[in-house]
Amino acid sequence: MALTGRAALVAALGSLPVGILAPSWTGMLAVNVPLSLAILCDYALAAPVRTLQFTRSGDTSVRLGDTAAVQLTVTNPSRRRLRAHLRDAWPPSSWTSEAEQASSRHRIAVPAGERRRPTTLLRPSRRGDRQADRVTVRSFGPLGLIARQGHHRVPWTVRVLPPFTSRKHLPSRLARLRELDGRTSVLTRGDGTEFDSLRAYVAGDDTRSIDWRATARQSAVAVRTWRPERDRHILVVIDTGRTSAGRVGDVPRLDAAMDATLLLTALATRAGDRVNLIAYDRRVRAQVRGRTAGGDVLSTFVSTLATLEPELVETDARGLSAAALANAPRRSLIVLLTSLDTAPVEEGLLPVLPQLTQRHTVLVAAVADPHVEAMARARGSVDAAYQAAAGTQAQAQRRRTADRLRRHGVTVVDAPPHDLAPALADAYLALKAAGRL
Amino acid sequence: MTATTADPTTSESRTPRQVWQRVRGLLLAALVLVVAGVAFAAVRSGGQHGRLDPRSGDPYGSLAAAELLRDRGVSVDVVTTLDEAAGATGPDTTLLVTGPNMLTAHQQQRLHAATAGSTGRTVLIAPEGSSVARLVPGVRQEARGPVTARPPRCELPAARTAGTTDMGGVLYSTDAHEAIGCYPDDELASLLVLPGRGNGDTVLLGSPDILHNDRLDQQGNASLGLQLLGSRTHLVWYLPSLDDPSAAENGSGSRNTGDDRGAGGESEFIGLIPSGWLWGTLQLALAAVLAALWRARRFGPLVTERLPVAIRASESTEGRARLYRKADARDRASATLRSATRTRISPLLGVSPRDADSPAVLLPALTARLGNTGSELSSLLFGPAPTDDAALVLLTDQLDALEREVRTS
Repeated sequence: MALTGRAALVAALGSLPVGILAPSWTGMLAVNVPLSLAILCDYALAAPVRTLQFTRSGDTSVRLGDTAAVQLTVTNPSRRRLRAHLRDAWPPSSWTSEAEQASSRHRIAVPAGERRRPTTLLRPSRRGDRQADRVTVRSFGPLGLIARQGHHRVPWTVRVLPPFTSRKHLPSRLARLRELDGRTSVLTRGDGTEFDSLRAYVAGDDTRSIDWRATARQSAVAVRTWRPERDRHILVVIDTGRTSAGRVGDVPRLDAAMDATLLLTALATRAGDRVNLIAYDRRVRAQVRGRTAGGDVLSTFVSTLATLEPELVETDARGLSAAALANAPRRSLIVLLTSLDTAPVEEGLLPVLPQLTQRHTVLVAAVADPHVEAMARARGSVDAAYQAAAGTQAQAQRRRTADRLRRHGVTVVDAPPHDLAPALADAYLALKAAGRL
Repeated sequence: MTATTADPTTSESRTPRQVWQRVRGLLLAALVLVVAGVAFAAVRSGGQHGRLDPRSGDPYGSLAAAELLRDRGVSVDVVTTLDEAAGATGPDTTLLVTGPNMLTAHQQQRLHAATAGSTGRTVLIAPEGSSVARLVPGVRQEARGPVTARPPRCELPAARTAGTTDMGGVLYSTDAHEAIGCYPDDELASLLVLPGRGNGDTVLLGSPDILHNDRLDQQGNASLGLQLLGSRTHLVWYLPSLDDPSAAENGSGSRNTGDDRGAGGESEFIGLIPSGWLWGTLQLALAAVLAALWRARRFGPLVTERLPVAIRASESTEGRARLYRKADARDRASATLRSATRTRISPLLGVSPRDADSPAVLLPALTARLGNTGSELSSLLFGPAPTDDAALVLLTDQLDALEREVRTS
């Protein structure tokens, strides 16, 4: 039950006849009894809320920054016309601003026995699952003096996927991959170490790649082509511990790591490699076993990563190493997306690193903070001098940590958030070209 | 990406049946409370109800005394307001005040003023404390005694005729010579008669027991009661009540006449406003209540959500900078900055990073590159820590200048 402003307005206007014509209890009754009766009639004539039927349809996933449309079908099975305000409630982060939130309120009129389909537009401000809350209906009577109010729960989930902003780097990296593959029209010998096929010599080919034995069998000169190894295994390990919660700019390190993961996955899948993923802090938070064929590897990755959140616990490096080894039965490239903070690396990662490097190639990628770089460059005042000292020291420590990792034969990629994904892709391509996978 | 769900029973509102199931317990509890309250009040009020009321047949009522008086030709009028009581005083009227202690100080003063000038009889039942001085100046309340059968021991004709009666209660004394005290307890009178102007007098009764229905037929109670109340042809039986408008005239009874004007002014102001405005305002207040109900109803509950933590990754570095500043750690800051500069310029000079911290290798290479004197560069790159903040700022600038020079040379 909900009174409307109209009822209050009528009562306020009633003070005129009460004050002017009949200033007495009689006057009060003469105004308020008809008003009360009208309100009661209005309530009785309003369409019932409880018997309404709701169904939902529409988008179930949306990329962060895009708009999702979710339709809500309202069926009015009663014999009265439904005039209602409707609030389709979603969590606050389903919209980026208050103004957009207005799209969750609808005014609908549904004649008896018919249905209407209002659409709620969501533009989520964060990654993860958004679950629809209750649908609140306010059904007004024909006079608009009072409304029946009630809730319906119509479940629906919209998964907000990582934005994958580094998608724009994919074409250039694919072009380099094709170059490696020897499939381009460029007349260079394809890099790589795996024998691919023989083809006829074309003027300009490297004479060193002529296969004399094949040439002797044929009438024409044949050259060997090479291609990079295929069907290699890549295991991406995302550290979701406390260091991944730190924000660089306004985005957690974890999100930058995801972006890099997605670019690497897209690239490696095209290159014919097999990508697996685990996310770990003190236990496995997410796990994907990628398949070699099929384009849905990336979408599986995207929807798995969508719900991943940093946990405020110290990462268990020993457990992480064990989980990585369990998920990499064959020789693999282990891409570890973690931080280069001194303490976690020296106390956690370095002792267990030999276990990983023994059989696998390890690549450590970390998100650098542009703000620390800006601090190291600060000049001009006393505060700035101390900031420069602190920033420089942080950078130096980071570099020392990276050097210690490199001494273990680990490839280290340390880049600010927007550069991490292309840098990681380049490091992968370099390893592939060098035949180290 | 498109799917549909269908579920006909999505409503979360309660059905009327559920509402009834929820509230019936509360309703039952409220009903039990009301019934218990009514029953308790009925049991407890019993005998005390209608105390000294001439219309009440309860043990503590006074219907019997009033009927006997009527049989003897005395008219009995019950009044409940002071205005009626004061207006009824007259030479052939007896005014019986059953509860003088219930009157406010202001009412007591008005009652005294009305009765002092009258030639009728005023009977006051057991006034106590400060009421005594206001109602009958010159009389003091001394003590309390038990209500028992007592002999009159005085010259009052009525008392002599009645003989022993149930008297006691509040005991009085007075210095007035013409006063007659009867039924004494330790020389203090429980019945005091004070002659007034002309034929009038004032009677103070220490206890009301002689007028109660259940005691009227004992001792000489009926005789004394009838003689005291039946001496005039009219009897005004004043039962003070709480809804008497004169009780509200003066705020809380213990205060005095000072407030009279203020109270009168306020009521005059309200009286001056046309009644239409007052009723219109009342209706507007009702509308305001409706508006409050309208605004107070929420359009569905708030939706809660788990938010992620917001920690800046650079927080510890900023903290370290503030810590350096607070501790004036110029030595540490300058060492860090110098070391960073050395590390950056050493590859430009063809010196291996391992030798960057050794003056013997770095300084000759630097001197050869720039042609500067060694001592200046030595103090810049390997010198002591700056002594004050200004020197630290200067050092950072000089290190920057040196690095630029090496890069451009």
